[in-house]
Amino acid sequence: MTGRIGAVPSPAATHRSGGVARRRGPRRRPHRGPLVATLLVLGLLASACGPASSTSLAAEGLPRQSDGWHGIPLEIERTLPDVTLLTTDDEPFVLADELRGDPTLLFFGYTSCPDICPVHLAAIASAMNTAGISYDDLDVVFVSVDPERDDPERIEDYLSNFSSRMTGLHEQLPIVADALSQLDLPGPVVEGPDPRGEGDLIGHPAQVIGFDANGEAQRVWPFGARRSDWVNDLPRIVEEWS
Amino acid sequence: MTVAWWCSSTPGQIWTWRYTPFIGVWIVAASLIGGYVAAHRRAGQPLDRVLFRRWCLGVLALFVVSEWPIGQLGVGYMATIGIGRYVVYTFVAAPLLVAGIPTWLVDRWFPIGSKRGQVLTTVTRWPFALLVFNAVLFGTHIPWIVDTLKVTQLGSFGVDVLHLGAALIWWWPAIRREPERGAIQEPIRAFYLFTSSVLMFVPAAFLTFSPLPLYGLYELAPPLWLGFDPTSDQQAAGIVMNVVGGFVLWGIIAGLFLTWSRQQQNADEVTRKARDARTLARMKVMADAEAVDAGGAGGAGDAPGTAGGFVDGGAVPVRDD
Repeated sequence: MTGRIGAVPSPAATHRSGGVARRRGPRRRPHRGPLVATLLVLGLLASACGPASSTSLAAEGLPRQSDGWHGIPLEIERTLPDVTLLTTDDEPFVLADELRGDPTLLFFGYTSCPDICPVHLAAIASAMNTAGISYDDLDVVFVSVDPERDDPERIEDYLSNFSSRMTGLHEQLPIVADALSQLDLPGPVVEGPDPRGEGDLIGHPAQVIGFDANGEAQRVWPFGARRSDWVNDLPRIVEEWS
Repeated sequence: MTVAWWCSSTPGQIWTWRYTPFIGVWIVAASLIGGYVAAHRRAGQPLDRVLFRRWCLGVLALFVVSEWPIGQLGVGYMATIGIGRYVVYTFVAAPLLVAGIPTWLVDRWFPIGSKRGQVLTTVTRWPFALLVFNAVLFGTHIPWIVDTLKVTQLGSFGVDVLHLGAALIWWWPAIRREPERGAIQEPIRAFYLFTSSVLMFVPAAFLTFSPLPLYGLYELAPPLWLGFDPTSDQQAAGIVMNVVGGFVLWGIIAGLFLTWSRQQQNADEVTRKARDARTLARMKVMADAEAVDAGGAGGAGDAPGTAGGFVDGGAVPVRDD
């Protein structure tokens, strides 16, 4: 930056050279002040600007796999966790039993979640609609990792923003952590205060897990999956996993 | 308080109503106003209040849509506001800035015959300006470009510079009235502006009618409220580009056309009055000649038509026979 400023002639030098030019011919040199100022501002901005993103999240969506799916295939075998959770009517819900028979998309999140949860759920709900997939053919299950704040009414209200056909489940934290552990996923952790002033942010797995009709995990969709990814994969889930 | 240089999309960053000043926006705004005043002082020219007001309003429009919160919301969270920013940059700020530059300053910065002057004349020729404007319009709304450039402050700044630069080039031949610098006259000007408004329907239609969100940065941005749907947001953005952009542009086209029509009417009026005056003078001469002839013939005959016998300013002479 210093070098660049040093390369710009001083006003006195500019005037001197302007004087020489006038003596040699009648043509007047155009003023360069505004141009130099503009370049300096642009240079300052260019040198000062780094990438604004503090995360590795990208907006490109998921890359297409060699088999045409956008969801990432799982290398290890996992089945629906053997735990009993509660519905929003506080009825027991045995995950491994209730979700067999239809393919399932399972997601762990919380209703105060500001980013990943609403983006995932909105994308799935919108893509279900666009692809013409019925919730009768594919279960979409949301399990709360925040039992302190997420009571049944709140979960129901929350899911109704996306689709009232989604299934909301809750239970005490150890049971939810057990379910996550059976899927080799880390348990929820408090990450600190929410910048919006709505309590604490809770860290949780960011992927949606897809299970076939036999309850076997097949693929995951990490955060970054877009509607176009889901519109591509949802019909395949219904056709190939039922 | 966090400080940034220019608004950009930061994937995963939660929106809060906490003020984040964009220093680059302040610097650019201050440079534009300060540079304008300094150029006048250096040239020893007084500030023309009307032109200065236009220039300041243009800078204000740029500032408002680039600074927090509109800048940040438009680049990182809502496509509707993003397109709104484009509309303000292109159809509000740019014409005000172009209309706010005095002719002597253009001559000073871009002397006719100089290289800079030649560049200005070339890039502001209306076919070229139309091409540049639409190339930038289409290019900067391609999803890959948006998702790649707007996630960095420098990229986002570059896109804004492109939008403003293309709009300045585009407005130049339509607003500037210096014939030697490629100013265009009606009806080409109306055609020129109208063509762009029609071409703008193409990206607007993509936004409005696409069943899926085109831009990942808006689709994956933390929603501002629950139930916020990026597809609806994008459709609204298309409508903003189409309707608001169209209305603003058509309003400007109508305004310019009416101004031109009034000027034409005034010019016609002046021409007509001049012609009538000439006719009147000619008729007077003829009447005087007739009177002289009649006097010579013994004063017989009808009273001749006099100057008072013609409709004042009328094109058709009427005789009081």
